[in-house]
Amino acid sequence: MAWNSRLAHSVSRNALRAAGAAFILLGGMATAQQRGGTLTVGLGYDIDTLNVYSTGFLGDVQAAVVEGLVAPDAKANYVPVLATQVPSVRNGGIKVAADGKTMTVTYRLRPGVKWSDGQPLTSADVKFTWEAVKNPKFIAESKDGTEDIASIETPNATTVVVNYKRVAPDFMSTLFTFGILPKHTLEGKDLNTDSYNEKPLGTGPFRVKEFRRGQYVILERNPFYWRKDSKGVQLPYLDGMIFKIIPDSNTLVTQLRTGEVQLAYSIPYSQVKQIDGVPGLRIVKNNVLSWQHLDFNLKTVDAFKDPNVRKAFAYAINKTAVSKALGGYPTPINSVVVPVFSYANAAVPRYDYNLARARQLLDAAGWKPGPDGIRVKDGKRMSFKIMAQAGRSTDEDAQQVIIASLKQAGIELQPDNKSGVAFRDARYKGNYDLFYGGWITSADPTYSVFFGSKGVNNGQGYSNPRIDTLLTRAESTLDPAQRTAALREFQSALMADLPSIPITTNPSMIAVTEKLGGFVPNPTNMTNFVNTSGWYLK
Amino acid sequence: MNAAHLLKRLLGTLPLLLGVSLLLFGVLHLAPGGPLDVYADNPSVSPEALAQMRVAFGLDQPLPVQYVSWVTAFFTGEWGYSIRTARPVSQEILERLGPTLILGGTSFVLSLLIALPLGIVSAVRRYSGVDYLITFLSFLGVSMPVFWLALMLQLLFAVQWRVLPSAGIQTIGSDSVLDLMHHLILPAFILAFASVAGWSRYMRSSMVEVLGQDYVRTARAKGLTAGKVVYRHALRNALIPIITVVALDFATILSGAVITETIFAWPGIGRLFIESMNGRDYPVLMALMMASSFALVISNLLADLAYAAVDPRIRYE
Repeated sequence: MAWNSRLAHSVSRNALRAAGAAFILLGGMATAQQRGGTLTVGLGYDIDTLNVYSTGFLGDVQAAVVEGLVAPDAKANYVPVLATQVPSVRNGGIKVAADGKTMTVTYRLRPGVKWSDGQPLTSADVKFTWEAVKNPKFIAESKDGTEDIASIETPNATTVVVNYKRVAPDFMSTLFTFGILPKHTLEGKDLNTDSYNEKPLGTGPFRVKEFRRGQYVILERNPFYWRKDSKGVQLPYLDGMIFKIIPDSNTLVTQLRTGEVQLAYSIPYSQVKQIDGVPGLRIVKNNVLSWQHLDFNLKTVDAFKDPNVRKAFAYAINKTAVSKALGGYPTPINSVVVPVFSYANAAVPRYDYNLARARQLLDAAGWKPGPDGIRVKDGKRMSFKIMAQAGRSTDEDAQQVIIASLKQAGIELQPDNKSGVAFRDARYKGNYDLFYGGWITSADPTYSVFFGSKGVNNGQGYSNPRIDTLLTRAESTLDPAQRTAALREFQSALMADLPSIPITTNPSMIAVTEKLGGFVPNPTNMTNFVNTSGWYLK
Repeated sequence: MNAAHLLKRLLGTLPLLLGVSLLLFGVLHLAPGGPLDVYADNPSVSPEALAQMRVAFGLDQPLPVQYVSWVTAFFTGEWGYSIRTARPVSQEILERLGPTLILGGTSFVLSLLIALPLGIVSAVRRYSGVDYLITFLSFLGVSMPVFWLALMLQLLFAVQWRVLPSAGIQTIGSDSVLDLMHHLILPAFILAFASVAGWSRYMRSSMVEVLGQDYVRTARAKGLTAGKVVYRHALRNALIPIITVVALDFATILSGAVITETIFAWPGIGRLFIESMNGRDYPVLMALMMASSFALVISNLLADLAYAAVDPRIRYE
């Protein structure tokens, strides 16, 4: 499951408040859900494979078919799915070795769960999943976490004991969360070419009835599904789901208007208003786990080595104007940790739009206005190149606003946009003065890859021993309180130093029929379809 | 043209295709990016995993080695596996060929049926009101962007009047021919529109030229009816340049109509090409481009055959 441009799932403020309700719904507290009906969903991309571990997209369809041991909920907190509880140190699910170097995670599987072909799910399936994904012959990108595991024991059919080679607090972010593979149908098969990739067998609420490439996937109710609502009604409520592949976003909107599609996500901001007026449809804002930021190149640009210059940039950028240019949907942010996370720190140093303060800081730093209005210091004009991803229109629009904002403070920025490999190469190696873009994370982000001195995504060359210490502490502890404390302190320290200016968090806009009940968007890479069993059509 | 000549022509295409393949392979690899780039946005795909995939796909080999192993496999019928979907390339293409041929074929026939009569009428009634109207419509057709027209027609027929489906090749679950035709109307019409505009112009100018020839005057002078002059004497000679144009367009049917297929969510070759291009899926791309080149060679051959059929003076020895 990859993070790419497709990903965009999240939660509006209201939806966040309603998040609790989502799982109550599963308990059946909401009124009169009817069984029956088929929901048609529009997908904007062509599905490559239905195997969650090897697809280049997020697994929307897969999420309705395949389940993992745990899954992130609407607040990006892990909740149990096939396991009876989320393992933690407190509940004894995680045990750290006496030397503090390795750990053991124990899962208790939910008894009585069956695959959609009627066979029972056992601990052997979990062990098989690890072995199959780890197998070097299986060509897949989502192999994260397989190398951290030394061995897996299965003392009985419902107990899985995973021995980790290291203390890995992020152990839930990929393997076993993406999905469990069925041993009884896949053992000894070549996962690269097996028919599993067309018709995955899972324990989820639906199973694949038909997959026509380039056209659609039809899902039907899994008669063996394990979840029941509080009244004892067998879930899912829906008889089935249809995922239609519609690559053109205009056509997708047309199909929403004609009712040929009842749910679609990642609606372009420019088309949200059009849909909002269509009777029978509502727009849901999903605050995905992504943040837009402006990075300074600290390796090659001397001017940016002065923290006051960086702060002046932050004061000069009108984040509200950036949001307005994108239809008003993005939310300005003050920290690199998006507000959905419980450890987001609201008390970080803030740089609210203040042009006078920006000018003052630049004057004090020795950058005086030159004859053409652009500031000069030691004969050097304050003129830089700003890179964004070419072709990504929301980013290019925001970039224009940033350029205009900084012009007011006497700073000249010239767009130097790149695409494809050239873009990524420049981003990784820091071949830019300034870089505007977005990062998207899993429910369990590792911030050291962005801000650690040796982080793979730290192309800007940022290095701060204090940040490194705090991140190491946060990323090696299993104690949630300690992790939260370390991450909060990290945010304050980072925002005081300001190597990167957080601009906005850009939501994904979902259009959905008013008839659909029980729908709650999910901000994580597990997609909006991670728990469809409680959805119903009114 | 006899069988021996045909065989000779066909064999002659082999070195041509080989040269084309070398060119395509080179150009494809000159374009920035590679098949593994889809993973590069993902901060959690480790460099080791990428290196492992590179070896698995043979992308670590030097380019000449990659080319030789590809070209030998390709010409022996082994088209390899798609990097994106891990399925056989031949299967990927075959699945998309049907919808593309249905759409392309329908619009091709439709275009011929409309364009030729329009061009003839336009030429025969040169500078009349009808001619001006057809000329105006042709220019409109040539200059109107396909995507715009498609969106407008979707809006009218699917959203406003609700008489036609806005996209797709069939109602899900239905395999009836009638349903397919219902879905075919909008995309086939839009695809035909631009061809009709272009072809009718060619037909017109070619016809105008022939109608000014001496033998047409002679035919008229000996008292033949206008219909006979136009259809028996002028048309056959006027068709030669049209065949050239139409044959070139015929070859492009096989490469799919990228824009129309995307807008109408039509599961054809054009979309496969775009997706493969975005993912730099080299095996699929090479196979698709080779197929298009082959189609072009074949349609040229067909054009040559057609020349001989309409004009007995043309013979191949």
